[in-house]
Amino acid sequence: MNKFSALFCAACFAAGLAAAPAAAQTKPIRIGVPTSMQLQVGRDTQDAIQMAIDDINAKGGVLGRKLEMVVADETENPETGISAIKKLTADEKADVLIGGYTSGVTLAQLPHISAAKTIYLGVGAASPSITAKVKQDYDNYKYIFRVGPIHAGNQAKQVTGFISGFVKDELGISKIAIVGESAKWVQDLVPVLKKGATDAGADVRLTEFFDSQTSDFSPLLAKIKDSGAQYLIVILSHASSDIFAKQWHDARFPIPYGGIDVKGMDGDFCDRVGGKSISEIAANFAVRAPLTPKTIPFFDEFKKRTNRSPVYTAFGANDAVYIYAQAVGRAKSTEPNAVIKELEKTSYVGIPGTIEFDEMHDVKPGGKGPNFLFVQWQDKCTREVIYPKAQRTKAYITPAWIKK
Amino acid sequence: MLEILIHGAVSSAIYAMLAVGFTLIFGVARILNLAHGTFYALGAYGAYFFTSHLKLPLFPAALLAIGMVALFGIFVEKVLVRPMRRSQLAVLMITLAVALVVEQALFLTFGSEYRNVPAFVEAKFSIGGVDVGGQRLLALGASVTLIALLWLFIQRTRLGSAILAVSQDPEAADYMGIPSDRIFSIVMALSAALAAAAGVLAGPFLTVQPTMWLLPIVKAFAIVIVGGLGSIPGSILAALMLGYAETVVGYLISTSWTEIVSVLATLLMLIFRPAGMFGKRAAF
Amino acid sequence: MFGKRIDYTGALGFIAFMALLPLVFGGNYLIGVLTVSVIYGIWAVSWDFMSGLTGRENFGHSLFIGVGAYTAGFLNTTFGIGGWWSLPAAMLMAMLFAVVIGLPTLRLKGPYFALAMLSSAVIMQRLMLIFWEQTGGEEGINGIEPLIRSQLGFYYFALAALVLVTALLLALARSHWGLILRAIRGDEATCQAAGINITFYKIASLVISAAFAGAGGALYAHYQLQVSPQLFAVVTSITIITMVYVGGMASIYGPVGGAILLVLLTELLRNFGEWRLMIYSCTLILILFFLPNGLIAPTWRRLKARLGRPQ
Repeated sequence: MNKFSALFCAACFAAGLAAAPAAAQTKPIRIGVPTSMQLQVGRDTQDAIQMAIDDINAKGGVLGRKLEMVVADETENPETGISAIKKLTADEKADVLIGGYTSGVTLAQLPHISAAKTIYLGVGAASPSITAKVKQDYDNYKYIFRVGPIHAGNQAKQVTGFISGFVKDELGISKIAIVGESAKWVQDLVPVLKKGATDAGADVRLTEFFDSQTSDFSPLLAKIKDSGAQYLIVILSHASSDIFAKQWHDARFPIPYGGIDVKGMDGDFCDRVGGKSISEIAANFAVRAPLTPKTIPFFDEFKKRTNRSPVYTAFGANDAVYIYAQAVGRAKSTEPNAVIKELEKTSYVGIPGTIEFDEMHDVKPGGKGPNFLFVQWQDKCTREVIYPKAQRTKAYITPAWIKK
Repeated sequence: MLEILIHGAVSSAIYAMLAVGFTLIFGVARILNLAHGTFYALGAYGAYFFTSHLKLPLFPAALLAIGMVALFGIFVEKVLVRPMRRSQLAVLMITLAVALVVEQALFLTFGSEYRNVPAFVEAKFSIGGVDVGGQRLLALGASVTLIALLWLFIQRTRLGSAILAVSQDPEAADYMGIPSDRIFSIVMALSAALAAAAGVLAGPFLTVQPTMWLLPIVKAFAIVIVGGLGSIPGSILAALMLGYAETVVGYLISTSWTEIVSVLATLLMLIFRPAGMFGKRAAF
Repeated sequence: MFGKRIDYTGALGFIAFMALLPLVFGGNYLIGVLTVSVIYGIWAVSWDFMSGLTGRENFGHSLFIGVGAYTAGFLNTTFGIGGWWSLPAAMLMAMLFAVVIGLPTLRLKGPYFALAMLSSAVIMQRLMLIFWEQTGGEEGINGIEPLIRSQLGFYYFALAALVLVTALLLALARSHWGLILRAIRGDEATCQAAGINITFYKIASLVISAAFAGAGGALYAHYQLQVSPQLFAVVTSITIITMVYVGGMASIYGPVGGAILLVLLTELLRNFGEWRLMIYSCTLILILFFLPNGLIAPTWRRLKARLGRPQ
């Protein structure tokens, strides 16, 4: 037996000992967090969950038991993601999983989550295929929930509303271009968006996908200019939003842009690009505004603890902990089937709105539910809500070099 | 048309800076340095760090970044690569490991977000109706200048001749009293400095995040092979071909196809003319 | 010969150890990690057979892996064909690709061959992304059926496959095949002068290497239950080369240890959170620097020498 195996055996043994529960009653409820640890979305997921855990534990925990968190790095690689799930479920024996970011990784993890019969509350991945499985194969996939209004179809609807309600009705622009990175959720989203926009009376001059790795947008920008569009709708997540903003600004591109820009939601995005994203509109589903009684306290507490502004996974992650805790409280047990029944009955006032689940375990949008707010970067890198009009905080500004 | 001409030139210029450095160290020391992209990354991050954290003005920050990367290059060559020189694969693997370590160090220090390298030139220029960012034109001009200077240095100075000699036959050069070890270090420093300069110049308008080293090295590798390992004119020509091929495909078809076109071109070149355009061996 | 007996004992000991490990420590996590490491072992051994022996480093091994995996994926999801057909189908597809790519590129030397193979793998990866409507793009193919439902059962099957492949390739390497391949590494011209059809041997070794890589890919697909373009990535090829390096080039059995070691290392380091990959890369540098001939094979040889010393 070589040295390494001996070491490994020892490590396994030690880990086994460490994980051994003290006594069944005071055994903490373990929240497994599969997330991309090195990315901002991952860090914020962890911090938001820890915030919720600290709060709940201070109030006595759940069913007399404390909550604790175990994190496993899923990077953006399906292989690492699957092993993260196995580590959390088989090794760390997590009671519930909260996390996720890349749709490809989450989809890869689903069969393994199902095999482990563990509840999964997704906070970051947008692909419709994730929750579609809940309906297609309820018995095996009833464990999957999504706690953010990020379902790609929903996002398409929200952006359609923005296009018709703002770009067309207020700015008077009907010629638009739609570009998105070639991730599957975007590829699923864009046709829905295109149809919705066209039905609303917009003239979609160009639809184009580009590789997430693209670092030079000049060809793309040239194409957009040539198409005659007067507003650019973007759908960006993994792609280089920073570079896009910089190159758009450096070329003094004559067309304003906005849409879904995940990195553009970062609190320090504007500073990171040296102020070059001013006048870009990015969709957020929560900003530091009184959307619900929980919103502003959450933002402030998060800022106090981490000195950062939270990104979208933080909202879902924080809400997910409370939602799970409450469901367990109602079910009076952590047994998955019982908890799932209670989860389905959830009506929780969260950070972006009231969270209720539909038959596919996705968040019901609209009404009291979370709605997208279209937020613009303005002078000195401040952010103002532009749309919906009811929540507008300041008037829209055009890019500095465009005469309006 | 003019768009393609200008943007293609800028792309080619950046690629040329990377490729020339890569082929230089290979031509002289037979080192396939997979950490070459790391020098590029460190140049960009250095400029970012010195300007935003130490609040230095841009020009000194850039020079400082390039200087430090050159020193780092010498360190890598002397300490990590030289003991492994007998096996090309060993050198490849250890330079790769260096690249991975630096990538992780950047992740841990600066985080995963894209960082901002300030540009020397913020203005926009309009050339014949085409909008080009000033920084891009600067990158083009600086690249041409630096490569020309390098060329003159190698062809006209004594040190340059020494480098040529070592590249043709290290042993003979040693017999003639040329310290080949010292030449390796100098060449590594030059190669690293060029890559770092590319990082400083392109950083403002291209990606600056910890994994930024991988794509440039893959491209540089391809360009250098197509142009002929060890040939500077070959690298420049191949860089132009690749830069323009990508730009043309990007404008006329779609950016999704640019990667495939350049890789396919590389593959075809390898199948039909493996020695590259200007053959192997030390002919600069 | 005494040396051979030690080899057999060592091999049996290793197999027994690998078979008993999950029984002693249990848990689907460990079984999962071991299964993946065993599959990487198959890939590493298949790489070593061609590139280790002939000295033509193949930087595009991921091409054959991906082809095998995607073949299995397509057969299973689009055509609904059962898992057991995937293995031979994957092997055939991989072998086909090996012939098509190998014929024009095997006459290239050193870094040229490496780059040609790397380019081929990158092209396939791009194609998977460009034709996302058929291949699932970034998300790949999901919903593949497991080959064997029991976790432990699948592990033993994979382990058996690894042992079989390693034994086969070891036998080939020790036969006149291996001799010729090593001779090709030394001096091709002389081989040709001696009347050996080096083209045949080069292509054949690439095809054999590809076949097992593809089989491993199919196993992978039916275990992870999904395939994604990341399988074609440069990173995959480089990971495998690193495993062979750590195991000991051209030893065929060394890469098995290299693969298992490195996969276990990445998992063990999870406790270090954000520092995991940093520590992994540093460890790699240390191994590459201080053990230029690898860790596993030289260690075994030294052990054998010590054991083989007459009493």
